[in-house]
Amino acid sequence: MARNSAFNERRSSSGRFLPPDPRVAEPYRFTPQLALRVGMLGAVALAVFAALFLRLWALQVLSGDKYLVAARENQIRTVRVEAPRGPILDRNGLPLVTNIPGTAVQLWPADMPKQGRYRMVQRLASILHVRPAQITEAIEARRGDPLTPITVKSAVPWDRASYLKEHKSEFPGVSVVTTYLRNYEHRSLAAQILGHVGEISRDELKAKKADGYRGGDKIGKDGVESSFDSSLRGTAGLAQLRVDSLGRPQSPFQVQQFPAAGYGVRLTIDLKLQRAAEKAIRYGIERALENENWWANGGAIVALDPTDGEVLALASNPTFKPSVYVGRPVGKKLRALEAPEANYPLLNRATSGRYPPGSTFKPVTALAAMEEGILSPYQALQCTPVAYYGNDRQEFRNWNPNVNEAMTLPHALAASCDTYFYEVGNKFYGLPERRGQPLQRWARLFGFGQASGLDVGGEDAGLLPTIRWKRATYTKESYPKTWKIDRLWKPGDSIQLAIGQKDLLVTPLQMTRFYAILANGGKLVTPHLVSSVEQPGSADRPSVVLQRFAPTPPTQLPLTGEYLAAVQEGLSAATSESYGTSVGVFGSFPVPIYGKTGTAEKVVDGRLRDQSWWCGYGPEWGGRSAIALCALIENGGFGGEAAAPAALKVLEAHYGVRATVFAERASD
Amino acid sequence: MAISDYASRSAPREREGSAVLAFVRRLDWVLFGAVVAVVAYGLWGVAGITRFEVEGDERYYVVRQAIAIGLGFAGLLVALAVDPERYRRAYRSIFGSTILLVLLVFPFADETRGAKRWIELGPFQFQPSEFGKLLFVLALAGFLADRARRLHEGRVVFQALALGAIPIALVFKQPDLGTALVYGAALLACLFVAGIRWPHFIGLLALGVASAVSVLVLLPRLGVELLEPYQKDRLTGFTQPDFDPGDTTYNVNQSITAIGSGGFDGRGVAGATQTRFGFTPESRTDFVFSSFAEQRGFVGAALLLGLYLLIVWRGLRVVTVARDAFGAIVAGGIVLAFLFQVFVNVGMTMGLAPVTGIPLPFVTVGGSSMVVNLLAMGVLLSIHARGSLGGRRAG
Repeated sequence: MARNSAFNERRSSSGRFLPPDPRVAEPYRFTPQLALRVGMLGAVALAVFAALFLRLWALQVLSGDKYLVAARENQIRTVRVEAPRGPILDRNGLPLVTNIPGTAVQLWPADMPKQGRYRMVQRLASILHVRPAQITEAIEARRGDPLTPITVKSAVPWDRASYLKEHKSEFPGVSVVTTYLRNYEHRSLAAQILGHVGEISRDELKAKKADGYRGGDKIGKDGVESSFDSSLRGTAGLAQLRVDSLGRPQSPFQVQQFPAAGYGVRLTIDLKLQRAAEKAIRYGIERALENENWWANGGAIVALDPTDGEVLALASNPTFKPSVYVGRPVGKKLRALEAPEANYPLLNRATSGRYPPGSTFKPVTALAAMEEGILSPYQALQCTPVAYYGNDRQEFRNWNPNVNEAMTLPHALAASCDTYFYEVGNKFYGLPERRGQPLQRWARLFGFGQASGLDVGGEDAGLLPTIRWKRATYTKESYPKTWKIDRLWKPGDSIQLAIGQKDLLVTPLQMTRFYAILANGGKLVTPHLVSSVEQPGSADRPSVVLQRFAPTPPTQLPLTGEYLAAVQEGLSAATSESYGTSVGVFGSFPVPIYGKTGTAEKVVDGRLRDQSWWCGYGPEWGGRSAIALCALIENGGFGGEAAAPAALKVLEAHYGVRATVFAERASD
Repeated sequence: MAISDYASRSAPREREGSAVLAFVRRLDWVLFGAVVAVVAYGLWGVAGITRFEVEGDERYYVVRQAIAIGLGFAGLLVALAVDPERYRRAYRSIFGSTILLVLLVFPFADETRGAKRWIELGPFQFQPSEFGKLLFVLALAGFLADRARRLHEGRVVFQALALGAIPIALVFKQPDLGTALVYGAALLACLFVAGIRWPHFIGLLALGVASAVSVLVLLPRLGVELLEPYQKDRLTGFTQPDFDPGDTTYNVNQSITAIGSGGFDGRGVAGATQTRFGFTPESRTDFVFSSFAEQRGFVGAALLLGLYLLIVWRGLRVVTVARDAFGAIVAGGIVLAFLFQVFVNVGMTMGLAPVTGIPLPFVTVGGSSMVVNLLAMGVLLSIHARGSLGGRRAG
């Protein structure tokens, strides 16, 4: 009740009972005390105004120029002008990837309305057929960078773009701009090599900020687009415009620095051969299916120029259209590219597929054995339907149970006699320990178990099993039950390795690289896909090569000519002699072809399935260059049934001639 | 019944005896001139600041502001005619209406930016807490004048504080922190001029500092938040202007840029890009000074500050010539509240003071503020006219 008492006048001591008497009440006087106080208030007022004046003076007169600059910059927004990306060309300059103009819808988060943001995002999303979450996630991701627009969607259909333009006032912060879209001239052709382009991710940005990449930039995500991004991307230009505080433009764009178009990248790929190779895989799969290998569902073909390692064709199947990445990619379509049901179309089987090579590995065994002095090429060994090795007399069978004759090395290669090579493998096993593991040593010299050094994209190193590898792999932790046995290098390991089975895994590219050695007389080439970076020409101006990528000089391997010749003889016999495994396919082909079939057992989905291989090469002929080639049909059955016919298709395209008779044979 | 002192009895006699001409001669023409000048100058400034604000009608705000000025001067004349003694006698009702006025906001007002400050009256907005400022000073002065001889008692000081705390708390609750601070400054000024003892005054100052520290620092540490986060950010933001350029201090930085870019002689109306393109926040209300300084430069802004200083000086002079304690206290409260508003508002635009929603007297576009400030000037002039000129006692 303090308030009541405060109002209660009666309680004041002087006027408690009587009305105040003016004679008693002292008149008001302006006392010196009050004068002092007013003076102090005056001093406070002066101090306050002095502070304000000084601050005003400091801001406006002393640092006025600085703030004037700040005020001018305040309203200038610098925008990056996208540079057109360079084209990707084939070896003859035919375009594989170009640009087309497209419409993109961009969003400047800073300019979005304060209220009703989400409603606007939802409307925008429904107009552009994207999920609202995609937009909000992008806004969230770009939080620290309010001056770079978010590309909501590129490749926007014109009717939707014009709707947004007409209703501009309802979508503050949304702008419709022209952008460049990647155009894939031949649809799915070379999809895994070319790669695709997408918006730079946070991690990429972090790693590449120093190279001039900025948020919102496009960057190559895979293949050539990624490996040669710095050449392809060009240099973004700069433009300025004046805006108000809501980002509404107050002046037209003024380009300060024009964008420089990206350079073209010329590949070693031959468009025609690439197309033939991709078709050939499909043909090989068809052949396999016709031969009731129902699980044939993929494959790869690699064609190299054996003299310098230029990749002429690099095909992988199943494949996809890189155009699914253009615009704002649809998640469902992207997931399909990595889906097991579709057999992983994104995987470049030519460089990253791991397969046992089977009999196509036999030339490796042969060369190693001869160089190591445990095999003489023309000393005959008996090719039997079955052989027994090891203390437990383990049985090793030949693929062909109907053979029992003495064979020289060329004959054994041509007929792909397994028992002959079991014997060689067993000899490797029997070598004293101080000799090490010469088969693996030679295989490594030939490029197995390591990446080939291809200049584009990822590559798998395959797997070259060694004693050390077995010890490291089979440990108590990884295989608690069987590790004690499995970690030992047993006769079977050497014997199976000799015919390219068991643990050995190779990529088609590694395999082709090895056959290039046979084709060029013992030189290990480094495969490469890109021959030059060039300034693209126009109708009246030829293109200018800016940087030529000289192939890495091939390494001469310490091979004995006589031995190499014996292997070559065997590969020639395989395609031409009656006992050859692919004579039915290549027998009538006008160009002498050297090659080896392979039928490699691989566990696929818990079942052993035959991987169909053919590896070989052809000489320079009729003005066409030499070619080394491997074809692989996944789960395609015998090499002679699926892979060899597919390889023939590629060779026909390369040499421009056709085989007259075709009689494929179920042969390894 | 009647509480009166010497002055109350002499006042009617004096008014009867004074011819209108004599009254006019007794006016503080310097103060009046300064008020007219600052109002006209402010209107001119507002004309420039709001020229591009409403598309197609560049005089939209000027016209409204002119109407408010007209109303305000009418109010000033009325206030001039009223003997302050009447306020003193009616201080209880004035106090009651202050409370009512401030309370009005809660059921009627629209929520603008989370705060209930305005009441819509047809096309106009009415901001009760602005009017409350003047009523608050009058009521408090009445209370203190009646206890002029007992102000050395701590009890009276405490009572005055308790009385003042009610409207302050209500305004704070609206929430309108800035106006609550103005009320607080007026309260302190009234107590000071009324003549409370130094230890009490210093104790009050210390209490004010301590409560600010505890509200801003100590209580949050203990988990008690009396202020909304945005209020706290604003209050503390000016001490670290580069801390958060995106949000709270963005406004202050833009404001400082605007003022600085004005330079010595200003960028003119068309060239003041900070104002014209909306970079300066609230350019016709709380941050009007930064737009003014951008367009008119140091010369123009200093002239405005000079006029304010003139008003403060003449206002303090009114304290010294007041006829009675009531007049002196009212004048002191009005002048200090005025000074406080100018300092906090201008200081805020230059990063010297915390950001609070205090209008700049006579310049900020807003009817309530304009009318009530002119009314307050009318009261000051009225006190002066009825006071003793030159410090000598009149009549």
